Amino acid sequence: MSLIQLEQIYKIYNEGKENEVRALNGVTLSIGQGEFVSIIGASGSGKSTLMNVLGCLDLPTRGSYHLNGKLASRMNDDELSHIRNVEIGFIFQGYNLIPALDALENVELPLIYQGVGAEKRARIAREALERVGLGDRVHNYPSQMSGGQQQRGAIARAISTGAPILMADEPTGALDSKTGEQVLGILRQLHKEQGTTVLLITHDNKVAAAAERVIRIADGQIVVDCPREEIAL
Amino acid sequence: MNLKQSFRMAFKSIRSNRVRSLLTMLGIIIGVAAVIIMVSVVRGSNQQLRAYYERLGNNRITVSAQQWGGRDISQTLYDYCLSLGPLVLGVTPDATTEGPIIYRDKNTEDMENGSPTIKLGSAQFSLCNNFQIEKGRDLCQMDVQSGQQVVVLGERAARYLFNYQNPVGKTVLLHGHPFEVVGVYRAKDPDSEYSMDNMAVVPYTLNRLLNRQSTLDAFTVRAASSAATAEVSSRVSGFLKGQIDTERGYFSVYSENQDAKASDDQNRMMSMVLGGIASISLLVGGIGIMNIMLVTVTERTREIGIRKAIGARRKSILAQFLIEASVVCGIGGLLGIALGVAGTLIAGQLILRAVILPDLPMSAGAFLFSVAMGVGFGMYPAAKASKLQPVVALRAD
Repeated sequence: MSLIQLEQIYKIYNEGKENEVRALNGVTLSIGQGEFVSIIGASGSGKSTLMNVLGCLDLPTRGSYHLNGKLASRMNDDELSHIRNVEIGFIFQGYNLIPALDALENVELPLIYQGVGAEKRARIAREALERVGLGDRVHNYPSQMSGGQQQRGAIARAISTGAPILMADEPTGALDSKTGEQVLGILRQLHKEQGTTVLLITHDNKVAAAAERVIRIADGQIVVDCPREEIAL
Repeated sequence: MNLKQSFRMAFKSIRSNRVRSLLTMLGIIIGVAAVIIMVSVVRGSNQQLRAYYERLGNNRITVSAQQWGGRDISQTLYDYCLSLGPLVLGVTPDATTEGPIIYRDKNTEDMENGSPTIKLGSAQFSLCNNFQIEKGRDLCQMDVQSGQQVVVLGERAARYLFNYQNPVGKTVLLHGHPFEVVGVYRAKDPDSEYSMDNMAVVPYTLNRLLNRQSTLDAFTVRAASSAATAEVSSRVSGFLKGQIDTERGYFSVYSENQDAKASDDQNRMMSMVLGGIASISLLVGGIGIMNIMLVTVTERTREIGIRKAIGARRKSILAQFLIEASVVCGIGGLLGIALGVAGTLIAGQLILRAVILPDLPMSAGAFLFSVAMGVGFGMYPAAKASKLQPVVALRAD
């Protein structure tokens, strides 16, 4: 079985009511270990909902989701927290660093929830920050960093646990093209050097072009799923 | 995540949200301090009053009776009171004579707060009036029976006349008659200006010598207990009703227990009123805490969403918020107690001129209430947010 296996996933809001919205309308998808996939679509197409389901941030209304052989769509809250903690690293459009914590503390956070000891934690977090080029900013608070720096901090946080999957939701959306390119570069490098599975959700074709496989979503359904080379972006 | 981590995280959060933490504490500090100060001051004044009545003597009954043109009933009344046996600890006439007392060049008329009251008493005078011998001896039955010219001085009078000398054995002049000082009473009311200690007592059998009369129309009876006080009061009243023709005389039986009770009642009401006000300030403090906690909920919801997205379990989130709220409210509560104690001491000095100590159960109650309030309202939004799907919590703004 693939790393990620979706079968007939539906996410329906206000089901049965007049204002019913089918954000995901029967998505079946499998993604293997070590792939670099971008999921593209216009806003409202359902790509963010898909990312939330894939990332175990939200539960599908119907359908089954196997992550690493385990049935994530039937897990309880604590099990989902555990999956998010060890299997997935998130990179959000809005960075989502905790403002009260400095860069190092933010990066340490998932390790704290894993129960890693203080010394080891600090060492790992420092290494992660150095990898994204923030070695000199470990004690800066999010408010003292630029958008690009914050996003790199968020990447450091996402990779600190060594999670096999990285999910990035519009990671360059709030950045200028140069810093955006830097961030994509880091993702590509992680993929190449460590075989990390990367899911990149974006509405921007240029960003999507960084991936090896492209999935296009429209109206909650997959309309295109092909290797990068077979699609003109 | 272990407990130590939860604590660290909570402290970090408190430190990096100083204003929020401070505002939360402020509500608690004011609430707790207000309750402690108000309740303690009322309780202190209550205790002072009770102590006053205690010094005066518990279970005292003042009996007075007068009859014009009839036979003198003082001896009958005195005998009747004495006949009440075990209900009564002692009986002494309640009569006075005019001063002054003179010792060498000292005349008590020159005393700043007036000449001492000179009491005519029985051998049970000190028992009835709650005096204790400090030096020398008390009046005795012999003195009274044979009308010895002896005097026991109150501490104020003794201090004025003799300063640091020992008065026992010295002779003073009262109405020109020589009296031997046989004893001095211990001070029992040292702080008040018009002190109960500004007195002297001589055997009542000298009434004729000092007042040129033999009638005694008032007695102080010390009953054995508060139940006995009521019993004696009613028996003496009954007795006097049969003895005195109210057309040509009057009598009264009066116990200070009634006064003490009335003042207790009054104080209880005061306590309730002020306690009510204090509870309101505590409640307002609590509402303040609630507001702060709820206002920050959006910010906290997002934080909870982030924490859950990167792997925090509900348990960890709840532990962090519980510790955070407990620590903030606990520190606030302790500061409130400190302020309350300081305020109580200051208020005690200003209002009652005495050292009053805070009421312990009340302080503990106020502390627990406000901490519970803070923890409750700190936890409630956190508990709610931690139940959300992370994606919902992350959307909060």
